[in-house]
Amino acid sequence: MPLATPLAVEFDNVTRHFGPAGAPVRAVDGVSVGITEGCFFAMLGPSGSGKTTCLRLISGFERPTSGHIRIFGQNSEAIPPNRRPVNTVFQDYALFPHLTVRDNVAYGPRMAGVDRRTRHAAAEEMLALVKLSGYGDRKPAALSGGQRQRVALARALVNRPRVLLLDEPLGALDLKLREAMQEELKSLQQSLGITFVFVTHDQGEALSMADRVAVFNDGKIVQEGTPQDIYERPRTRFVADFVGSANVLSPELSARAGGPARWTSLRGEAVALTAPGAGRITGTVRSLRYMGAVTRVTVATPGGDLTATVPAALPLPAQGATVGLHWPADALHEMEGGA
Amino acid sequence: MTDTAQAPATGPLARLSDQFWRRPRLLLVLLLALPLLWLGLIYIGSLAALLAQSFFSIDEFSGLINREVTLRTYGELLRPANFDIILRTVLMAAAVTIAAAIIAFPIAYYAARHARGRMKAAFYLAVMLPLWSSYLVKVYAWKLILAKEGILTWAVEGLGASTILNAILALPVIGGNSLSVSYIGTFLVFLYVWLPFMILPLQASLERVPGNLLEASDDLGATPGQTFRHVILPLAMPGLIAGSIFTFSLTLGDYIIPQIVGNSSRFIGMAVYQHQGTAGNIPLAAAFAVVPIVIMGLYLWMARRRGAFDAL
Ligand SMILES: Nc1ncnc2c1ncn2[C@@H]1O[C@H](COP(=O)(O)OP(=O)(O)O)[C@@H](O)[C@H]1O
Ligand SMILES: [Mg+2]
Repeated sequence: MPLATPLAVEFDNVTRHFGPAGAPVRAVDGVSVGITEGCFFAMLGPSGSGKTTCLRLISGFERPTSGHIRIFGQNSEAIPPNRRPVNTVFQDYALFPHLTVRDNVAYGPRMAGVDRRTRHAAAEEMLALVKLSGYGDRKPAALSGGQRQRVALARALVNRPRVLLLDEPLGALDLKLREAMQEELKSLQQSLGITFVFVTHDQGEALSMADRVAVFNDGKIVQEGTPQDIYERPRTRFVADFVGSANVLSPELSARAGGPARWTSLRGEAVALTAPGAGRITGTVRSLRYMGAVTRVTVATPGGDLTATVPAALPLPAQGATVGLHWPADALHEMEGGA
Repeated sequence: MTDTAQAPATGPLARLSDQFWRRPRLLLVLLLALPLLWLGLIYIGSLAALLAQSFFSIDEFSGLINREVTLRTYGELLRPANFDIILRTVLMAAAVTIAAAIIAFPIAYYAARHARGRMKAAFYLAVMLPLWSSYLVKVYAWKLILAKEGILTWAVEGLGASTILNAILALPVIGGNSLSVSYIGTFLVFLYVWLPFMILPLQASLERVPGNLLEASDDLGATPGQTFRHVILPLAMPGLIAGSIFTFSLTLGDYIIPQIVGNSSRFIGMAVYQHQGTAGNIPLAAAFAVVPIVIMGLYLWMARRRGAFDAL
């Protein structure tokens, strides 16, 4: 069966349980997903939702309790981690403290039997790629967090992996550095054409970097799709809450505002402030959060709080003022189930 | 001064504590004074006295110490009879250290990386328990175990392996009439007595190797053997060096085990004991005592040059 785009990694109903068989921790619970080759794939979810375990299943440090993982179409069960075409950027970098930066980067080629000159040249090339030329003789302890992160990246990339696994690689960096690294990682992925599987609990990071996002909760993928899908059409309340982009309306509130009597989501940007009584619903301004380009105005309505995102150019109401809220009928997005 | 915000220091103790808070160095000096005095005067001082003694010589006719600085006593160390003692001791210490490292590594690795809870407690107990009984009792117990009529011979006969034991005892130099009067016996007892001093530092250093480094090595394509050579061993090196300092120097300095178990050839410790006692040749005893110090110094210097402490 020829596929249009080959799958780099495929989870086929994969489960990974820890602890006693009677009362197991279901770290990964029936995950099925395909990651296409050359894709920037983000695994997004709160801490403890099973993202790291999924990554470790791909790298081979965990084995599925049931189900199968195929890497480039090949069943991976019998292949140990050191022989998978996969490399990992570890959450805390895991650089070898006794080796110089150059020897850290050249570690993979050295294990593969590449001679010293060739592997050092490859290491220098990779260090240049991550903008660390000239740092080869240092020990990891003499680097900043951001530099260590780059060394970890170079150490993985020098092996020319077909899939690169990154476990919250930017988690330990400060905001400015994190944003710079996000862009660099994204452009690196595009220029190298390697499949990236990127774990994060930061929804902004996932949405801005990834081609596809899988949202995890309790060991399950609750939604998988493009960032637009996830952001604009959250499938469940959990996704809407976690991605944080949208208001979640209870069936009562939705019906009161003229929508379907279902759980619905409503993006803040779609909500406009009007005079009291002129909109779909009326309430009092509970709080204003100034965010630069926009201000998030939270309004207490009889059915619950709603947040409107108001562009900086528009006038703002005072706290405690009574306002109306209006939105286009098609901005209301129905979600599945009650949970 | 009726309503001050802070209560003034009351009592001498409170004032003293305030003083210490204002001058942290004062506290440091007071705390370190006694141990430094001990280390500086008693320990380093006696070592210096020892070193000085080794540069004196003994008048062969009168038996009196000649307090002129000379290298003659060191020259005596090179006489075949004395040099053999040094060589024998160093070879024994090296053999004990290497064997201890080989035996200790898997035990320490298991304890550091796999044992949990009860197993870990059992490990510590098993390693420490022999240290609780007297050293002399253990050595004499081993003499009985290794003796010709001892339990080991009996067990080996029971297993029908006497030929193997006899073949081992027939080995030149290290063999002998029975294990208790051979170099092999001395070696086994040294190994038994000093093994905990290798296991414990090794276990501590292996415990500090983060598990994710082993995973990183695996992830980068290393086989288990390569991970051992390139990650585990270098990171365990400080523990291995610490352990080998113990086993090596304890063997170099011991004068009891070779007296009780072995073929009564002399080791450095015994030579020191005899020269400062019955023979009354304090300078030669001192020169002998300097040998282990020099050897350990050389050993550490070499280990350092080979990068053994890079992981510290
Ligand atoms: N080795 C393990 N033993 C027991 N429980 C584990 C183990 N690894 C992960 N878990 C549990 O599995 C769940 C998912 O963990 P993880 O995959 O690390 O989540 P995430 O990376 O999303 O934070 C957590 O409840 C965690 O406690
Ligand atoms: Mg994690």
